[in-house]
Amino acid sequence: MIKKFIHQFASPKTYLYQVNRFYPYIFYSSLVIYIISLIWGLFFTPEDFVQGNSYRIIYLHVPASFLSQSLYLAMAVASVTYLVWRVKLAAYLIIAIAPIGAMTTFIALISGSIWGIPTWGTWWQWDARITSTLILFIMYLGLISLHNSFSNFEKADKLTSWLVIIGAVNIPIIKKSVDWWSTLHQSASITLTEKPTIDVLMLYPLIGSIIGFLGLITCLVLTSSKYQILIREKTKSWIRDYV
Amino acid sequence: MDNITSVIAENISYKVNDNKLFHNLSFSLNTGESLHIKGPNGSGKSTLLRIILGITNPTKGSISINSTKDKCYLGHKNALKNYLSLDDNILLMEFDNHPCLKKYIEILDLKRYLDVNVANLSYGQQKKLGLLRLFLNSSDLIILDEPFVGLDKETQIILTDFLTDQLKENKTLIYTSHIECDIDSKTLLLK
Amino acid sequence: MNELKLEYLKLKKKTRSWLGPILVFWLIMLAFPLTVEFMQDKLEIGFFSVLWIAILISMMLATEDIFIEDYNDGSLEQTIIKNTSFQFLISIRIIVYWLMIGVPISILSFIFSLGTSEDLLLSISVIPLSIISSYIFLNLFALGSALSLNKGSLLGALITMPLALPVLIVLGKSIIAFQLGINYLEFILLLLGCLSIIIIAVPIIVSFIIKAHLE
Repeated sequence: MIKKFIHQFASPKTYLYQVNRFYPYIFYSSLVIYIISLIWGLFFTPEDFVQGNSYRIIYLHVPASFLSQSLYLAMAVASVTYLVWRVKLAAYLIIAIAPIGAMTTFIALISGSIWGIPTWGTWWQWDARITSTLILFIMYLGLISLHNSFSNFEKADKLTSWLVIIGAVNIPIIKKSVDWWSTLHQSASITLTEKPTIDVLMLYPLIGSIIGFLGLITCLVLTSSKYQILIREKTKSWIRDYV
Repeated sequence: MDNITSVIAENISYKVNDNKLFHNLSFSLNTGESLHIKGPNGSGKSTLLRIILGITNPTKGSISINSTKDKCYLGHKNALKNYLSLDDNILLMEFDNHPCLKKYIEILDLKRYLDVNVANLSYGQQKKLGLLRLFLNSSDLIILDEPFVGLDKETQIILTDFLTDQLKENKTLIYTSHIECDIDSKTLLLK
Repeated sequence: MNELKLEYLKLKKKTRSWLGPILVFWLIMLAFPLTVEFMQDKLEIGFFSVLWIAILISMMLATEDIFIEDYNDGSLEQTIIKNTSFQFLISIRIIVYWLMIGVPISILSFIFSLGTSEDLLLSISVIPLSIISSYIFLNLFALGSALSLNKGSLLGALITMPLALPVLIVLGKSIIAFQLGINYLEFILLLLGCLSIIIIAVPIIVSFIIKAHLE
C-alpha cells in the first residue's frame, strides 16, 4: 500500500513536472524573503552590545550551519527510502543533495571563521561545534568521492546509502563526544524548546533569513536533482519528449 | 527416471545503467538436464549465471531453484589462494577428508605439486585445482562459466565424461562455453 | 572452530598483512621521540596522543586487504553461494585479525608507555584501552574497506575516519581520568559498550555491503 503510493508519486517523471511547476514560486518567494531579512538585519537592527557590528554575519552563518546538518538528515531519510522501498528518485536525491550539503557546510565554516576574527581574535579554534562541522564537511566529501568511484550507478547508490545511514548514526555521537571534549562556542541562540536568548529585534530577521536561505537551497537541490534525473534516465522515452 | 523441475526462470530482465542486457528471459530445467547458454561476448552470459546463483538480483522477474543444497559454481576466477600450497588450498575448500580426493588428485596429475605454492603453478594447473570444487561437489545444481578454457585435451575429455555422469545421477547442469563439447544439452541463445 | 583455524592459516601465511601493521606501529612509536627535543620528561606530554594515533593508523593498514583479496580471487562468490552465515565468517575474520595484530600491538603499547612514563600502573591501564580500541578500530576500518572494496584503501580511510574520531576522544579522556584518579573504569565500560554494539552491527552491515559490491 505504502509502497504503491510511493512508487506512484515518486516516479522521476511526475517529480520533474511537479518541480517545474512549483520551482518559480519557491525561488522568487524565498529570494524576496531572504533579501528583505538581510536588509532588515543589516540596516535596521541595533548593534550588538558586546560584538558590535560583526555579529551581522549571523544572517549567513546561522542559516548555513542549520542547513548543513538538515541536509545530511534529508540524505539519511532518502537513503532509508531507497534501501527499503527501492525508490530510484530517493537515490537521485542523495547524490543531488551531497554537493550542496558540502557547499553549505563550507559556507558555515568560512563565515564562522570570518566572524571569529573580530569576536575571538582568531579565525580558527578547536572548539566543539567548529570541529564537528569540519568533520561533517569531510563526511560530505567522503560520500561524494565514494559515489564517484563507481561506474555502475546502482551499486554506487546502494553503497552510498549505506554510508549515509552509518554517518547519520555517527553524527550525534560525534557531536556529543566533541562537545564533551571542549566547548568555547556560544550555545545555540534558538532552540525549539527553550526561549530564545537573542534580542527579538534581531530574531525576526534571523528567522526570515533561515527561511529564505532554506528556500534558496531547496531550489538548488531541485535543480541538481533535475540534472541527476536527466543524466540517469536519459535512455527513457519520456525524457526525449521532455527535452 | 523421475524428472522433477529443478530450475525455473520467469521473465528475467537485467539492466546496467539503463542498458538492457537481456529482456524477458524464461526457461525451465528438469533434474538430469543440462542447459548450454550461448551468445557473443557481452551478451550477459556470466551475468545470467550470477543471477541463477543468487549473487546478482534480476531487475525484473524471478528465479526459483528446487534444492536446498549448496550450489556448485566455477567461474572465471578459481578462488584459490596463491600464497598457499595446494594442500592448504584443499584444506580451505574443506575437502581434506573427502573420500574421492586421492582419486581426483591422481587423475588431474596434481600429486607432485601438493606442497607447491599455487602462485608457482601454470594457469592450466591452477584451473585443474579449481576443478576439484566440481569433481568433489555434493550439490544438485552445477553452474559452470567457461569450464574448458585453459584445459588440455585430456582434461577436457575427463571433464566432459564427468559431467555426463553427473547428469545421469540426476543433477542439473547450466554452463557457458565457447569450446565445443560433447554434452547432451538444451540451448539458450542470448543476443 | 574450523573457520577460526582456516582464517588463522590464511593470515599466518600472509606475513606482510599481519607483521606489516605491527612494524608500522613500532616505527611510529620510534619516530615520535625523534621529533621531540631529547628530554625524557617532555616526551610524556604528547606520548599518548601519538600512541592512539599509531594504533589507529596500524589498524587502518591491517584492514587494507581484509576483503579485497577474496574479491579478486573469486572466493567471495564461493562464500556467499554457500548456505553458511556470511556475517559469522566476517566476524571470525575480524577476530583473527585482532588476535594476530591488535593484541600484539596492545602489548607493544604497554612496553612503550612503560618505557616513556616509567609508571607501571599507568602503563597497565593502557592495556585494556588499547586492546578494546584496536578491536573497535578494526571493525570500523573493516567497514570502510568493505565500502571502498577494489577502490583503494585511501577512500576507505577517508570515509571511516570520522567514525573513529569519537573513540579517540574517549581514549584521550580516559588517560586523563586515570592520571587524575577518577572514573577510569567508567571509560572502559563505555568503550566496551561501544564495542558490543559494533561487533554485532559491523558484520551485518559489511555482509550487505559486500553483497551489493558483487551484484
